[in-house]
Amino acid sequence: MDVKSRMTQSQKMMVFVLSMSLYGLATLFTELIPSFQIGIVEFSVEYFLFIPLTLAMLFDPLSAALGAATGELVFSEIMLGQFGGLGELEKFLTVTIGVYIAGRIVKDPRNRRVVAAASIIGVTVQQLMGCVVDILKVQFAVEDFEAVAGLPESVFFTEGFACLNDILFSGILFCMLPAMYLVPRLYGKIEPLLGVKPRDKETQLEGGVFTPKNIALILAGFAAAIGAELLASGGYELIDWEADWAGNSTSIIVGIIVALAVTAVAAGLIRSRAGRKASAEYRNF
Amino acid sequence: MHKLTDSILDKFSMDFLRNQVLKNAYGNDDTVIAGLDPRVLLIWYLFFGLVPWFINDVVLLLGLFLFVVLTTRAARIAPLVLFLFCVGVFTQTGYLLVMALFFGGDSSLVAPLLVMTLKVAVVSLASVTVFSGLDPDRLASGLLWFGCPDQLSFSISFAYRILPVLMEEFQNILLSYRLRGNPPKKQGLIGKIRYLGYQVKLIIQAFYPLMLNTAKRSRTTVEALELKGYRYALKNPGVKKMRLAMLKVTRNDGIFIVISVIWAACSVAASAAIA
Repeated sequence: MDVKSRMTQSQKMMVFVLSMSLYGLATLFTELIPSFQIGIVEFSVEYFLFIPLTLAMLFDPLSAALGAATGELVFSEIMLGQFGGLGELEKFLTVTIGVYIAGRIVKDPRNRRVVAAASIIGVTVQQLMGCVVDILKVQFAVEDFEAVAGLPESVFFTEGFACLNDILFSGILFCMLPAMYLVPRLYGKIEPLLGVKPRDKETQLEGGVFTPKNIALILAGFAAAIGAELLASGGYELIDWEADWAGNSTSIIVGIIVALAVTAVAAGLIRSRAGRKASAEYRNF
Repeated sequence: MHKLTDSILDKFSMDFLRNQVLKNAYGNDDTVIAGLDPRVLLIWYLFFGLVPWFINDVVLLLGLFLFVVLTTRAARIAPLVLFLFCVGVFTQTGYLLVMALFFGGDSSLVAPLLVMTLKVAVVSLASVTVFSGLDPDRLASGLLWFGCPDQLSFSISFAYRILPVLMEEFQNILLSYRLRGNPPKKQGLIGKIRYLGYQVKLIIQAFYPLMLNTAKRSRTTVEALELKGYRYALKNPGVKKMRLAMLKVTRNDGIFIVISVIWAACSVAASAAIA
């Protein structure tokens, strides 16, 4: 990264807070607005992804992306009590990756065409990953997925359709057009408020869009998303297969989870005890 | 279509939303659930949020379901949240059922989908109990104790404080746009679609000033944090210890754990007896 473009740690924190509160507010609304259907085409204000997209194109992409994902988690999931546990990690990672990619693509925020392309790419990446994970999730959560007549086709169809629908409808209406409107207008106005130089030829992010390191990180993130989702809704296949000889799989899993809980408590205790010791030492200084 | 625009506009009466969310966050400090130790509740959630996914026994699932219904009642969750939960659970599986029937499934589908609905319901009610029933500050401290990143617990505390301010500001901006704007007539189908589009456009445009204002506010926030040595405090174990000193496991926590264990054991016994 260019020396001039490097934001200080607190400026990154500002971007994080900004993106978190705005996107959190927006997802809170979308959670509350009812979606409506015409036939099987669902029109929902699925998400106001244009907010983090805009911020990622103007500021540091990673902070904006992480802030957006955290905002969604905190405002719409935890505050409304819809927190889905480990499964939320999937949404967290896909949103982060999508927004991050879109933010890196844009070199000059005044170029509307690039902004439009980048926002659509960001949405597509996010939605496709979400779609794949969703299909895998149902496959693991329903026993004898293949054996139930009509279920596999319907899952593929509904998920694929929802994905396409989201990309075309929400993607264009609620991501591309607002981003095209907002990014050039905010350019040069919002940066000074955080004490940052606007993104231009000198301060743009170096190394292009897809450095090998980025790609590796993104792939790892996607793998983690799938892993988390499957862990959340299953680990099922494996256990089922073992159940032939293990007898009662439920008890095994319950045992595992109880063990996990105990481990968590132990870890917390050790940590707090270590903290006490460290703070005692700290006081001695 | 008319009903739809109306219902959306109704939902957007900000006072209603704000009241519901704030009620959910701060309105029930005096419930049994809110008085429990957040660490105990999080571990309880670890059990009720994960175990149901691995159970296929309908009786056992029903037993767990009844229990989480009781805890949700004890936590006195705001009606809006419960409504959202019901809509979420039942539209999802209902839609899947209709589509599966459309692709040539028969009534044998109902059983696996019912089991899946029960699983989802148990897990989400457990999360509603824990994450809505708890005071946000206590929730954040509980997460911190388990070693969650400090940013997350900061975000939770911050979100609950900033939300009312943000909502009010957004409402003011939206109202000022409405005052200045000239909405299209909502006669006929096309007029109604145009009106809906106008409203959506207004909301998106309202984010322009909101973004600038929030940028200013987040700079102030971060600068205030820096002044108080936030990032220094992150690394200092003494500060963390001070923040977590309020967490105490009391007798009520013990009773809650015992009841949960007994209930789960009874459910297992019942399912074994029936099977």
